[in-house]
Amino acid sequence: MRNPRSQIAIAAVALLLGFLIVAQIRGQTVGTGLENRSAQDLTLLVANLNTRNDQLRGEVADLGRQLDSITAAQARGDTSAGQLRDDLVRTRIWSSLDAAEGPGIQVVLRGPVTATVLQDLFNELRNAGAEAIAVGGVRLVPATVAGGSPGSLSVENTLLSDPLKVLAIGNAATMTGTLTRAGGLVAQELATNPGLGIEVTPADLLDVPATTRDLVPHVAQPRL
Amino acid sequence: MSGAWVRFRSITTWEITLFAALAVLGFLVTAQLRSETPRVQYTSQERAPLIGTALGLQVEQKALQGQILDLRNRITATETSNQGSDALVKQLNDALFQARLAGGLTALEGGGLVIQLEDAPQAAQATGGSDLLVTGLDVRSVVEQLWLAGAEAVAVNDERVVSTTAILDIGGSLLVNSAYLAPPYQVKAVGPKDLYSQLAASASWVDFVAARAGQNGIRLSIAVPADLVVPAYAGSVTIRYARTPASPAPSAKP
Repeated sequence: MRNPRSQIAIAAVALLLGFLIVAQIRGQTVGTGLENRSAQDLTLLVANLNTRNDQLRGEVADLGRQLDSITAAQARGDTSAGQLRDDLVRTRIWSSLDAAEGPGIQVVLRGPVTATVLQDLFNELRNAGAEAIAVGGVRLVPATVAGGSPGSLSVENTLLSDPLKVLAIGNAATMTGTLTRAGGLVAQELATNPGLGIEVTPADLLDVPATTRDLVPHVAQPRL
Repeated sequence: MSGAWVRFRSITTWEITLFAALAVLGFLVTAQLRSETPRVQYTSQERAPLIGTALGLQVEQKALQGQILDLRNRITATETSNQGSDALVKQLNDALFQARLAGGLTALEGGGLVIQLEDAPQAAQATGGSDLLVTGLDVRSVVEQLWLAGAEAVAVNDERVVSTTAILDIGGSLLVNSAYLAPPYQVKAVGPKDLYSQLAASASWVDFVAARAGQNGIRLSIAVPADLVVPAYAGSVTIRYARTPASPAPSAKP
């Protein structure tokens, strides 16, 4: 292999080979899917991550204060009953175990409402920060799934009658804006479901009931 | 035969080396080209800082979630250690434990199912073929089917599905509990022993599989492990608008 042309060929191939190996390894290790997102998607993602991280930072701060308060109470020889009671009230409302009241929106649906429309609505309300949701007087829990066909929809074995009322406690402006924005859920559903009517109304005070469902697992075991 | 042998003997070592290198090169070029054509490729300049920011925020999110779980565990441990003989505190602690369990704030362990969803193999080459990609609606459908089959807890890529969980599409990936998830998606569920048979017997599940896996080709695989863990929800449980009604209303168990 004394031919200089052969040596150059080998060197070029080796160089290209090295480059491709590095590129391949890098390609395999990134794997986040972000590299394939558009700038618009990435902007939306960054906004969502920022919002979520703000919430998480708030939660960390709240929990830190809670821990300090309990520790201080213990140091004084007090019981933590007051703190526990507050925590219990909050957790039971959040978990749908207790009824709740507060401001929010009422969504009235008329006409051929499908189970998919309802599930989309629940998902969008949760996305908009709803803290408690009820449909036809039934409180939603994670396992609530609407079923049946238009005119005979049901949730949690409760038949839903027309017009169908969904109540959501939370920031009324945010929830209304999310649902009714151009290209939002209401616009999409109205465009694809002829005869469907959706009315979104802010309310100062709504009441949503507690769930009637037993939420405590019976088969799975807590892992502490 | 002897002529071929003579020609083979005349091949020099460097020619063999070059042949091997070119073979590897061909393999790598193919692999590289295949890995560079997923979904859509964008090349605009503004994407690099956005990707960097998103990655940084994801790292921060994981750290914050870890802190939340750690603080919740420490609070529970501190509260429990202080109960002594105080019956009220013990009662409150027990009620809080049950409420956390009901709300998804405690990890659960048991038998169950893991359903993995991946884009159709041809999604990488297709343009505008959204039917070939796993969407939020697909993942929501799987989650709903698992609930209907009797699941007691469900998580998507370890994001626990709770009362506030939304599953959203974001450019071919998902946001679950506002956490960014990239495919493949693993939906884990713990539940009764007949969870799989209940799921398999459901007409809506059969329809879903036929439509999405059968017709559109998304890859769907199911594992039935004897034991799996669905993690606790590691997000905010702060409520700003909902409060206990002025007039007491009936409560649920526990």
